Amino acid sequence: MSRCQSVARPLARQLSRQLYRPFTTTPSISAEVTTEPPATTPSPADLDPDTVLPEFENALMKAGQMPIGSRRRRMAIRDYPDGLPFEQLPYQAFQEARKILAADREQKLAAIRAELAKIALLESRDAKDFKGGQAMKDTRIASLKRYVEVLKIQADINDPVVKKRFEDGLGDMNKPIYRYYAERRWRSYQHKLITQRIEQFNIVPDILPKFEPTADVQLYFWQQKTQPGAIIDSLVSEPPPRLNVQVFDKGERLVTIVVLDADVPNVEADGYTKKCHFVAANIPLSPTQSSIPLGKIKDENQLAVPWLPPTSQKGSPYHRIAIFVLEQDGPLDAKALKEQYANRLGKDKTSFSLKSIRDKYNLKPFGFSIFRSVWDDNTAAVMGRHGIEGADIEFRPTRVHSMKQPVKPRGWEAKRQGPKYRHLWKYTKRIKGVSNGRKWLKAGKR
Amino acid sequence: MAFPPAFRWLPSRATVLPKTTSLAESFTRLFSTSPMAALKSANPDKANKRKKKGGPQRSEHFIKVRTLRQNMFPPPPAPLRMARLRHLRHWTIHRAWLLFRRQQREAMEKERARMQAGMYNACEELRTVSGPGEDKGVGYLYRVAMEKKGVWGKDAVPIEYARYQTDYPGATPWNHDWKRQT
Repeated sequence: MSRCQSVARPLARQLSRQLYRPFTTTPSISAEVTTEPPATTPSPADLDPDTVLPEFENALMKAGQMPIGSRRRRMAIRDYPDGLPFEQLPYQAFQEARKILAADREQKLAAIRAELAKIALLESRDAKDFKGGQAMKDTRIASLKRYVEVLKIQADINDPVVKKRFEDGLGDMNKPIYRYYAERRWRSYQHKLITQRIEQFNIVPDILPKFEPTADVQLYFWQQKTQPGAIIDSLVSEPPPRLNVQVFDKGERLVTIVVLDADVPNVEADGYTKKCHFVAANIPLSPTQSSIPLGKIKDENQLAVPWLPPTSQKGSPYHRIAIFVLEQDGPLDAKALKEQYANRLGKDKTSFSLKSIRDKYNLKPFGFSIFRSVWDDNTAAVMGRHGIEGADIEFRPTRVHSMKQPVKPRGWEAKRQGPKYRHLWKYTKRIKGVSNGRKWLKAGKR
Repeated sequence: MAFPPAFRWLPSRATVLPKTTSLAESFTRLFSTSPMAALKSANPDKANKRKKKGGPQRSEHFIKVRTLRQNMFPPPPAPLRMARLRHLRHWTIHRAWLLFRRQQREAMEKERARMQAGMYNACEELRTVSGPGEDKGVGYLYRVAMEKKGVWGKDAVPIEYARYQTDYPGATPWNHDWKRQT
């Protein structure tokens, strides 16, 4: 090496360390470090081929390991031991895209500020100044607020970090964008499933005349999620389940939870009645506070009717155990509920009615889940443990005879069975599946 | 047009076709001059066997049909296979691209609406103003501006002035006084 180069080498090293192109405009850790003279003893990071500095490359290569990647890449890895943050990854198209999205977000935030200013102005004005009076003032403010909610979602909907956080399940449900994502995910499958169950199991005419679920209700027995409509073993459903009720609108509210059996056989009336298995009121619920373990509800002010394990007697068709979550407009008197539904049927003592409890206490049903119960090996034990009568009764379906007249055999062979056609008997008598050697088989048994 | 040498197929003709054609061979003249066809026709037993072995008989339009099907029903492109973060970056770029196109489209729509409104306002102004000089009434300038002479070419008649071509056009194009006979 020439003398000139060897003299200039330390200086060139210094410059090359300072002049590398950073990914960010903020000074990195290495930029601050480079003010000191270059180290002469290798640090642990310099023994790693991923993070080795240029001056220790030769030593590493002599030790038998080749440095990995470019010096620029190694410096980047050295600066961020945990890896670069996702939004700072140095992909040009990605960074340009983020710039466009950030500019759009600024626009949306400015629009939100403008709309909020408009709302404040409208609220400060007197209702007499409006053409329609107070009603028109309220309408205009409500529509502006709705628009602000839309803008809030639009401001964040293009953010990859928000999307990633939601997909990781780390979204803060107090923020509208995460609630929006959660509702979209729910509508994509679970909502369709639960509306299908409502239709299949005839929940809508049988229990309520009209019902549209707007919240996600998941059911857990023994920490196991159960699909809506699944047939649950009576031993599994002996302790009360845990509900996970995810609402998609903001704010805290009080809810009532009603669990009812819609298919209790009623022998006297030759039909079915309904019976409630659990009623609890005044349960706080918010987007972030979604878990409701029914077994933990013990408060006198909340629990009205304690959990009764769902059981179905032998021979009776499956019982639909419906779980309803109803929104209250204020605190309820749980004691009145307790008195009214102590017999699990209601005042008239024939059948429980969700419609009547809804109308009486001004409740709005918004969440629904369902499971089914049939007679199984554990039902008798469960009934015995909880003092439920009827384990020794077996239901049998009553034979319903057909109103149709029996149909006589038809066809060419049937017409030629008589002695008049004795010469054809070899063709008409012993037909496989139609007759045995003596007579024709019954029409139904063929 | 020069083919790259790799695609040029130059079989040694001499090995495939006999150099000297005898009298017997001249009776079975080859229809094709391509060496493969020559090979096949040289030993017809083998070629027939191969045909029988295959599935259904190929029609004479087999190649055409195959080409048509390939072009009319192309297989779908392979799905994008990306790891999670790469897909997220892809999603970000895609969203930004959609947003950018929306911004461009809306800006263009706004500009076009502005220009159209400007033209409309100008025409309204012309329609209400009374023309240059005393003899030109209100809307003269508008009527002149709406003239379409020369718009479609020097001697062309604009389509707005045209009438339906008929064998015997009436002397009066439209009888405004016509009434239904009661």
